[in-house]
Amino acid sequence: MSKKGIKRAAKSAKSAMQAGATSLSPRLAMTTATNAGKSVKERVAAMPNVSQAVIESDAQLQAVLKVLRSKDEPTPVRLAALQALQAASFAVIEFESCRGDYLATLRAVATDSDLELRQRVLGILARENDGFAQQRLLEGLQNPEKALLPPEKALQLLGYDVHADAYPVAREIVKHPPSDAAKREALRLLGADASSKPLFEKILRDKEETREIRQIAASSLHAIAPAALQKHAREMLLDPKEYSDIQETSLTALTQFGDAGKVEKDETLMKRISSLRGVGSTKLKQGARLFQAKYGG
Amino acid sequence: MPQLAATRALAESEFAQLVDALSSEPDRGNELIDLLREDHPVYDQRGAAATVRMRGWILIALSRSALNDNALLFVLEELDTGRDAYLVAAAARALRSYANPNAAFAPFVIRAIDNIRYHDEPVTLERYGEYATSTTDSGTTPVRELLATLVWLGPHAREVLREIESWRANRSGFSKKFWNEVDQAFDAVAGIDPLRESNHDTCCCKLPSSLGNTHSWSPGSRNDCEAIESTVFEDHDGATIAFGEFFRGHPSVVVFFYTRCDNPQKCSLTITKLARLQKLLADQGLTEQISTSAITYDPAFDVPERLSGYGRNRGVRLDARHRMLRAIDGVDALRNHFKLGVNFIESLVNRHRIEVYILDVDGRVAASFERIHWNEQEVINRAVELLKEERPPPPPSETGRLVAPSRSSTALPVASTFASLGLAFFPKCPVCWAAYLSVLGLTGLERIPYAPWLQLALIALVLLNVVSVWMRGRATGRMSAFALVAAGAIAILISRAGLGLDGAGPWGVALTLAGSLLSALSREKTTPVLWRRLATRV
Repeated sequence: MSKKGIKRAAKSAKSAMQAGATSLSPRLAMTTATNAGKSVKERVAAMPNVSQAVIESDAQLQAVLKVLRSKDEPTPVRLAALQALQAASFAVIEFESCRGDYLATLRAVATDSDLELRQRVLGILARENDGFAQQRLLEGLQNPEKALLPPEKALQLLGYDVHADAYPVAREIVKHPPSDAAKREALRLLGADASSKPLFEKILRDKEETREIRQIAASSLHAIAPAALQKHAREMLLDPKEYSDIQETSLTALTQFGDAGKVEKDETLMKRISSLRGVGSTKLKQGARLFQAKYGG
Repeated sequence: MPQLAATRALAESEFAQLVDALSSEPDRGNELIDLLREDHPVYDQRGAAATVRMRGWILIALSRSALNDNALLFVLEELDTGRDAYLVAAAARALRSYANPNAAFAPFVIRAIDNIRYHDEPVTLERYGEYATSTTDSGTTPVRELLATLVWLGPHAREVLREIESWRANRSGFSKKFWNEVDQAFDAVAGIDPLRESNHDTCCCKLPSSLGNTHSWSPGSRNDCEAIESTVFEDHDGATIAFGEFFRGHPSVVVFFYTRCDNPQKCSLTITKLARLQKLLADQGLTEQISTSAITYDPAFDVPERLSGYGRNRGVRLDARHRMLRAIDGVDALRNHFKLGVNFIESLVNRHRIEVYILDVDGRVAASFERIHWNEQEVINRAVELLKEERPPPPPSETGRLVAPSRSSTALPVASTFASLGLAFFPKCPVCWAAYLSVLGLTGLERIPYAPWLQLALIALVLLNVVSVWMRGRATGRMSAFALVAAGAIAILISRAGLGLDGAGPWGVALTLAGSLLSALSREKTTPVLWRRLATRV
């Protein structure tokens, strides 16, 4: 199915589910949702009412799992079944009976030929820090032929677990990015990796990099080496050739997280901020006012 | 099959082969168990998921033969604190291969069920690295394995019968599929109690005595601290402090943790227990006599703000005597000193054990509690025993010399003080010579020869003083004395360089004296306990 087709199917599934969410009893909803003879629209509309039924009966659970697992079922129906199961899983204690079968089915569907379904399923598994999902996502990043998802999505999902062993492959993607989005996500993932400090320092000071990438570098540095960010923020504010939005970020960093003892004694910086109140962009002027309200000058 | 060595270069598939080979040779059982050490090189630079797969496979291999006492501790540890479904399932199965059911195992099994039952999931224990994609194809789950272990324990688990009864009554927290197995466990445990039926006195309610290594106590053979002396820490407030500065002079309780640990049964609980231990110390009036510290495994990420927040959120008391620390220099020495049970992928922990250490007044490891959850009062009792210890004389080293664990804290200031005094009283100009000659004349000594080599001696003394103060500064983490002495040395050398700046000489001497005194006094500042003890004696 094409991307547009997937979006259309998901949208129609969602609207149909909203329309039929309250109109059927759980028993009737189950009969409709799992009946291949009914129309896709009817089945999708019935799905929201099966969540309670799957918790109460193992037979009902198995019926919905079968829909989700079956490659012969229409994608919108499978997506609706997945959503119904997800809704049921919020009742942690009651859902405990279903959890094992649910996770096993998700793993089986994670390699399905349908991208949308794969992506949603891998997303759920990744949020559970599931080793199976992490292994498949890493394999796909190391060997694009085996990739279940686009690299940026895989990196995003691996980022849920700091222990997912994704830093080496993320660094490799930053060096040789297959796309801008992949590079962006790789940097976001590395934002929790303390040993990537030099990388972020380099990117932050590189005026050739895009603003977005530099902003990611700034927020990552704040997380892993706040003192280094303070130093660079100061230097970037003093640099008259620096971009104004990067200076805005620098100013915010110093205002919110600066070491008051150091900042207040820094006459050069104080003078510079004072001058920004008159000449900078509106946001920069506003930032300078906030800075002075905090540190004086 | 070629011989495989358990190194970090081993591929996972080769590792699985190695484990299978070791488990098939009964005389190599200890090699297999050795692979369960967290600090084993085979786990170096592996991801956390790979580490789980590898350790799980060892536990499964252990379950195929009779589990011995050496391996039992690792199995119980997994049941006590494990959160990973695969490892817990494998541990439960491995426990059933122990020779005899033991009543002491039952609480571990119950705890494991409580820890895992709301995130039970299918696992496959048949093939290496395989994840279950169905609950019917040879899959099992940790809860299923744990319930089977309760059945195996049978009446030996009578102590936990009430818990099983409450599961039966509520039926909540278990998959409906397990209700039969819960009933079976109940029936097995409620069966005839072999303890009551038999007349023999053997108590099987305690863990095997070989499990003493969860807790070690070494009053006579403690390693010295020479290697770790130079390790410098940064604390929760950003203050730097050397190992010797913080850990000498009083017993200490040290726990290890890291803020990104995702197992609430490990680091988070360890720090919460540390807070409770501190409260018990306060209740017993020991807050000032026994220090506590929590050292992070992840110093690159755990900056002071994180340490402070993590500790305060768990009720930890933080002050000069009770600190959360990260090593900023000498991390390897730290790992070696404590023989830490941890391994890493890059700077991130991939696996660690629970570990608590009690250090004596010299900073040497006197006792440790490992793997299984520790009792706060028991740790305090051990630390109190150390308070009562007579401080032994330093043990002789292999070469017969006295080991000088406090070399940097004692020898350096002494050398520095002598050097600076030598420097201060060294005749540096004609006026000095005249003054000395007049004094010597008064005392009857008529002449003292002036020789050019004395200039070289002066330079050597200056350099010696600068180096000794620098080393002292590095050990204490305070470099202000070094700055003064270095400035003084430069002033003295400039005054003797023939640049017409002779006036710099007295300033140089004054700076050198001030710096040297500051360096020497910094020791007094770092041993407040000594002062306090002296004060209480007075």
